[in-house]
Amino acid sequence: MRAEVVVIGSGISGLTVAALLAKRNRQVVVLERNQKPGGALRHFVRRGIPFDIGFHYSGCLGSGKILRVLWEYLGIWIHLRVHPFPSEGNDCLTLRHSGKSVRAFFSYERLEDELQQAFPNEAEGVVTYLKTLRDICDSIPFYNLDLPLTPFLRGLFPPAGIGLAPFLTSLTKDPDLQAVLVSPAFLYGVSPRQASLAVHAMVAHAFISGAYAIDGGGQAIVDAFLSIFRKAGVEVLTGQEVESIIVTDGKVAGVKTSEMEISCSQAIYTGHPADLLDLVPEGTFRQAHCSRLQDLENTTSMFVVFGAVDNPASLRDLTWVNHYAIPSGLDILDVNLICPEESALLMTAPGRRYSDPALSNASRGIILMRPASWDEVAPFSIGAGGTRPASYKKWKSQSADKLLDQAKKLWGYSRIEPLAIGSPLTFRDKLGVPGGAVYGVRHCLNQYNPGAKTRLPGLWLSGQGTLMTGIVGASLSGLVTAGEIEGLEPLWDEVRQCR
Amino acid sequence: MISDEQVHQRVAQIMAEEFELEPESLQPDATLYEDLGLDSLDAVDMVVALEKAFGMKMTDEEAVRAVRTLGDLFDLVCRLKNQQVAKE
Repeated sequence: MRAEVVVIGSGISGLTVAALLAKRNRQVVVLERNQKPGGALRHFVRRGIPFDIGFHYSGCLGSGKILRVLWEYLGIWIHLRVHPFPSEGNDCLTLRHSGKSVRAFFSYERLEDELQQAFPNEAEGVVTYLKTLRDICDSIPFYNLDLPLTPFLRGLFPPAGIGLAPFLTSLTKDPDLQAVLVSPAFLYGVSPRQASLAVHAMVAHAFISGAYAIDGGGQAIVDAFLSIFRKAGVEVLTGQEVESIIVTDGKVAGVKTSEMEISCSQAIYTGHPADLLDLVPEGTFRQAHCSRLQDLENTTSMFVVFGAVDNPASLRDLTWVNHYAIPSGLDILDVNLICPEESALLMTAPGRRYSDPALSNASRGIILMRPASWDEVAPFSIGAGGTRPASYKKWKSQSADKLLDQAKKLWGYSRIEPLAIGSPLTFRDKLGVPGGAVYGVRHCLNQYNPGAKTRLPGLWLSGQGTLMTGIVGASLSGLVTAGEIEGLEPLWDEVRQCR
Repeated sequence: MISDEQVHQRVAQIMAEEFELEPESLQPDATLYEDLGLDSLDAVDMVVALEKAFGMKMTDEEAVRAVRTLGDLFDLVCRLKNQQVAKE
């Protein structure tokens, strides 16, 4: 088999880079090791209820905002029904110690009002925090589309800058306000003590500028890509575990899976950068680079219960509200197994309640998640692949019960039936991330994440480990990788014309 | 405390091992980019390797970009190392 470009991995970064290159008339093949494409955007179905694995809500989908602009450029947008959270929608943050609740609205004005009311003595800190987020993002091309891409991308080295923790503690000594302001860390998986203010700002700003849900969730996005691929002639081959990248005369010559060999001149790898080392011939990268990729530190893992309620009407107050319970101070991502009543927890019903009756079953789904560490599952990871010790099942079910018990105490939801459970082991095996890191490689202070370009001609990286986290970050990493291949600014100019 | 001479030796050793360079090519006047054949992709790997080896941070982008020769690199690492000692 022959192609110009082989994309390894069909998560949102792989789908995006494939679509962009196909639009430039490149002949593209996408390889996915799982049986279905989509990575963390996929859903799975239990008892007729579709559950999103990773997509719960997103920012950057308002008019003129980057993800919408990109999807309009690619022809994805017209396939989707996107709903902005109404003005009353919010992340309802319940503080573990005080029991106080603060509504984090998806609007700068409303959020500022809410924070001023909840923390009347902290007005100055609140104003400075919000202004700082806006100022930072105003200098980033993905949020200020008038800017060119290149200076921002080349300026990512080195990852210095201000830490989130010192910034916040200088703004306020109130541990409850600190907790509220660091809460977006849940959405990029880096402890506030290691997080950089800039990375935090990018994620927080995206949501404060507006949150959005999509009918059919992440799967609808995957399906939209597959639909444009059919027209563009992009092939997506599933069940294809890549064994090696073939190198001839010092450049990429093809990709080999257990079943086939595809010759190509460009290969784009979207998996965890450390795993790339097993795919290339020895000596492709120098020792310094290999060590750097192997030593990359990852984001947190999560423990997730996918459950159902009998009556979707009982989830009414979850339609446009995501319920978070958070510890005070900077501990939002700390895994606290001894006192589960002190650790963070998210309850969300990403199916929302749409008018479309075809989606009504999705409205019964409810997702509970808490930060989790690899240590919790390490004792069970001995058996490779599908074989897990019986003790694992017991641990999973006990851990799920604890989470359900917390949800009941916090929010009164007592009749959630768990239908599936995701642990760090599940995420490691299904998403191919070491330690089950749900957001992949972390973007934090003092870590140099790899860029799209590699030392091997024809080999490129993409994915949330390279540029930014989450659906927005991974999509943009696809844009940047396509740009590095095709010319960054010309592609950026074309995309921006869809504003 | 590690002496400047020891820092030089350690930097040279890291460059030889991590970038597969000939030890005799690692003279102070050797330029990283022309003589040793490193490029901007290697520069980040070099910073990461040195940070790890010396347990310090090389976050001053200007200072790192100003490094032209191995001698410049020796001087930068010694300076950072001494600053670190002064702080402790």
